[in-house]
Amino acid sequence: MSDIRLVNLTKSYGEGNAVSEVNLEIGEGEFFSLLGPSGCGKSTTLRMIAGFIRPTSGQIFVGRDDITALPPERRDIGIVFQNYAIFPHMNVAENIAFGLKLRKLPKAEIARRIEAALKQVGLAGYDDRYQRQLSGGEQQRVALARVLVTEPRILLLDEPLSALDKGLREEMKFWIKDLQKKLRITTVYVTHDQDEALTMSDRIGVMSKSRIVQVGSPQEIYERPKTLFVTSFIGHSNVLDVTVTGREGDMAVVVLDGREMRARGAADLKPGASAKLVVRPENILMGAALGDGEPRLAATVLSETYQGALVRYRLKLGSQEIVAERQNQAHVERFAPGTEIMIGWDPGWSEALTA
Amino acid sequence: MRDEAAVSLLFKAVAMLTLVVLLLPVVIVVLAGLNAGDYLTFPPKGLSLRWVVAFLGSATFMSAYVYSFVLALVATLISTVIGTLASLYLSRSRSGAAAALRGFFMLPVVLPGVVLGLALYIFYVTTDIGLARTFAGLLIGHVLVTCPFVIATVTASMVGFDLSLEEAARSLGASPWTAFRKITLRLIAPGISAGAIFAFIVSFGQFETTLFLTVPNHEPLPMAMYISLRYKFEPTAAAAGIFAIALVALSTVVSSRLVSLRRVFRA
Ligand SMILES: Nc1ncnc2c1ncn2[C@@H]1O[C@H](COP(=O)(O)OP(=O)(O)OP(=O)(O)O)[C@@H](O)[C@H]1O
Ligand SMILES: [Mg+2]
Repeated sequence: MSDIRLVNLTKSYGEGNAVSEVNLEIGEGEFFSLLGPSGCGKSTTLRMIAGFIRPTSGQIFVGRDDITALPPERRDIGIVFQNYAIFPHMNVAENIAFGLKLRKLPKAEIARRIEAALKQVGLAGYDDRYQRQLSGGEQQRVALARVLVTEPRILLLDEPLSALDKGLREEMKFWIKDLQKKLRITTVYVTHDQDEALTMSDRIGVMSKSRIVQVGSPQEIYERPKTLFVTSFIGHSNVLDVTVTGREGDMAVVVLDGREMRARGAADLKPGASAKLVVRPENILMGAALGDGEPRLAATVLSETYQGALVRYRLKLGSQEIVAERQNQAHVERFAPGTEIMIGWDPGWSEALTA
Repeated sequence: MRDEAAVSLLFKAVAMLTLVVLLLPVVIVVLAGLNAGDYLTFPPKGLSLRWVVAFLGSATFMSAYVYSFVLALVATLISTVIGTLASLYLSRSRSGAAAALRGFFMLPVVLPGVVLGLALYIFYVTTDIGLARTFAGLLIGHVLVTCPFVIATVTASMVGFDLSLEEAARSLGASPWTAFRKITLRLIAPGISAGAIFAFIVSFGQFETTLFLTVPNHEPLPMAMYISLRYKFEPTAAAAGIFAIALVALSTVVSSRLVSLRRVFRA
């Protein structure tokens, strides 16, 4: 059963829409990420769920209840902000006690829960510190503890890692994910960082220009992007000009550089139309790595860039350029610039998309 | 750590000079009030508490002092509430009206007090709404004059106020009023206290606007001092000045102590 359901959720600000007709179902205990570039409407969507922004139209359900008209304090939804919003005039214990006092819990119970919460986030003994005595990572843990002690039904996180440095970000990524798994709390996570979304999420909703453009598991989003936008936003991709010539089963047949090949593709690709063929650099096979099943294309090496674990090649394929990456393993074949080589890829790992 | 030597000698000298210039009138008034002579002179002819005793024994001055105190207290109370509410609106509204209103609210500061007093007086008299030469009419004048000081300090304390603090409180279960009371109000309290102190001091020393609005036979202290000096050039007025300065200094010290203590304990 879905825990959160957004139905045609829309928010407009005069000129244009910040969020347009978003429909989503998020399951119980699911870690769902809203991923998209700056200004695409992620925060607005999250803040509508939290109750800080009233939708222009559409509805928000939690379980069976329509909460669209409820004020934030009656939604039982916890939120962690990008800047953590630790109350500066209260110490850590008072911050965490804030929601519990409002719930009129007995003093002893509040003290017990504060202690448990601080232990859970690894900040035991931090009770008396104030916000200015905490590092960014510690503030974030306090913000999480403050929300989690009230045992909300849903947890919302708005770019919680973006204010941290890279090392801490990596660490917190896994820490938050583990905590979420342990508590099995339905979580909506907003980020513009694809790595965060891919590593933490059960499912991802990619947003672009106020709309959700694709929803799927991290693997689906990465390996089967439905639009060019998703392709280019998640990881690096080669986007090649091709012409559609027909269909073969559930595969599209396209012509690239005069050579016919198959690629995954939606049924709406019309024969004769020009399209884009999308292949990830890591899926391009070169030289001896090329098997018999794959179509072979002649290419010229333009440059080779050594990146440690990876070696990256820029290749010329007819009139187009293509980037290939391969793991720098023992005995791997290397190609000097100017070399003529054969390249190819598994058709199942290439995608034809409408241009 | 601040490097002491970084504050240049010249800067220190200028600061000292400014302080002396600012404090000079205070010193003169205090010394004049402690004069042993019969007339208001400076330097004083010997020191005594003669005129201080005269002030404490003078029904006119004492009632003026109490009157001014009550007037300033009530005016401060009203303008602190109004001014705080106005600053909340000014700092949170995104409408163009707010920008225009901000300037409008500050008008009483730039307007000469005489003009404001005269305008109010003419308004009271011509409309005949029963405010001319009444306590309420005078109070309205003082609220108008003191409110901008509250608005200025509270608005300053709202700059950079993080609205997500209030939102965090809301999603933790606080009603809008509770969130405001427990979060916003606590955080802008120093600004509000500072505004209130300003308002009190300004109202207590207000003269020009008061001139047109006083209730007959109920002069506030500045008026009483002025009237007394016009008839007899006695140091009682200066002695009254000592008490006025003392009250203002005391209220400043007490309030700033309250504010900073709260900071120490709360922030
Ligand atoms: N109060 C507002 N008034 C007018 N426009 C707004 C308002 N709030 C947001 N917008 C607009 O709505 C769009 C979406 O904003 P939103 O904050 O949801 O973006 P976002 O995806 O969270 O971006 P970011 O990654 O930069 O935080 C933006 O174009 C923004 O300018
Ligand atoms: Mg945002």
